[in-house]
Amino acid sequence: MKLRPEWFGALVELEWPRALVSVNRALARRLGVQETPRWSGADPGHLSAPTEVHVVLSKRCSAGCSGCYVDATPKGPALSLEEAKAVLDRLARLGVFHVALGGGEAMDLDYLFEVASHARSVGLVPNLTTSGLGLTRAQAERCRIFGQINVSVDGVGEAYRRARGFDGFRAASQALELLRAVKQEVGINCVVSRSSFDGLDAVARLAKRLRLNEVELLRFKPSGRGRARFEDEDLTEAQAKAIFPLAKRLMLLHRVRVKLDCSFAPMVFWHRPSLAVARFFGVVGCEGGNLLASVMPDGALVGCSFGGPKEASAFDEAATRRAFDSGFEAFRGYAARASEPCHGCEYLSLCKGGCRVVAEAKGDWWQPDPGCPRVREHRRAQEARPAPAP
Amino acid sequence: MTDPDSRPRVLGVRFGVNPNSSSLGVDVTFLLFGGAAALAASLALSALLRARAALLGPVATHGAEPGAEEEKTP
Repeated sequence: MKLRPEWFGALVELEWPRALVSVNRALARRLGVQETPRWSGADPGHLSAPTEVHVVLSKRCSAGCSGCYVDATPKGPALSLEEAKAVLDRLARLGVFHVALGGGEAMDLDYLFEVASHARSVGLVPNLTTSGLGLTRAQAERCRIFGQINVSVDGVGEAYRRARGFDGFRAASQALELLRAVKQEVGINCVVSRSSFDGLDAVARLAKRLRLNEVELLRFKPSGRGRARFEDEDLTEAQAKAIFPLAKRLMLLHRVRVKLDCSFAPMVFWHRPSLAVARFFGVVGCEGGNLLASVMPDGALVGCSFGGPKEASAFDEAATRRAFDSGFEAFRGYAARASEPCHGCEYLSLCKGGCRVVAEAKGDWWQPDPGCPRVREHRRAQEARPAPAP
Repeated sequence: MTDPDSRPRVLGVRFGVNPNSSSLGVDVTFLLFGGAAALAASLALSALLRARAALLGPVATHGAEPGAEEEKTP
């Protein structure tokens, strides 16, 4: 167990149950925090550092997925081993708890396990996303070092090929079995698009059959090679409204934990769940520059691996600290600038206007997420209003 | 009236860790169970944290305190 003082009290990391707990100052004092500079002054409105950082180790991958978010190629750029270690050292000193390692295909990097081992040695929990293609039994055995590992499976059987552009389902499924044989914290990442939506039940059934611990549903995003396909693969309004009830149904039916990625927050909040419960359990939308940040293969520190300006070089600890203290305006500044219907939405403080990357792809970084059902309804109502008389 | 911050309290929790290196995974499981789940989790975690602290002593701080000397960039 370890903790990090924050303005409100502290964040406490538990290993069992695996959790990050926010406690107030009174409880933080009971846990041993004496007065800290973080308890002075006004509420900064953000954490002192992200709780997790996505380290995009490379944009190197030979799978050639047709919607790859980072436009990975077999010879794409990558952090060197020494650079990756240096970034992890700095993130640990700045109080980050978890890192999500990915790419590209991180498993293709011959130093992946050395990076993971180094993360552990400096007090970070390394987690991994992989395609699972070509995973060997020996590699799976070494994957014990990770916290959670998710394998990308965007559909079962033929649906996988349709989503990714090649037939890799059998290999991904075998990887899941190999990983599950050595550890419990294995799950599926599934990108949800207009064409893959109807196959989600089969994915959840696969997770149940392989006794996986979670299915994470990720909204299709206009990034990398996905940008060209976005207009055709963005969810319809009916699908956007149905994703949260569907996630609940899959959870109850298959008894598997279902997570939705941050960009689905507007689709969750449209159903008006309890605000207090959502806040307590950390159901949030865009947390770029607050709960999370990303480090790209060139060392750039950004709020989100899909977009947003470079805030600092992650090799520069002082600059990274300054960014955590007072940067990320492109993400943190949204709520103050939100227009309708976000401005009047009771969930704005959690949702943060949905996905900035989708908003930008649709014309303006600062507009409300156009995929939000509430935004769609608002715009329809605006259009239906009779024009003022001349 | 008692200052609410003077009572030791759990303010929130995020279970699990996020493996996805492109976006934040949000666990919507607990929205199924509503306020009762939040209350139960709050009480259980508060008791767990206090018990561990009582048993093992002060919890180690993660990361450097503000103002601590930073490594100079080469």
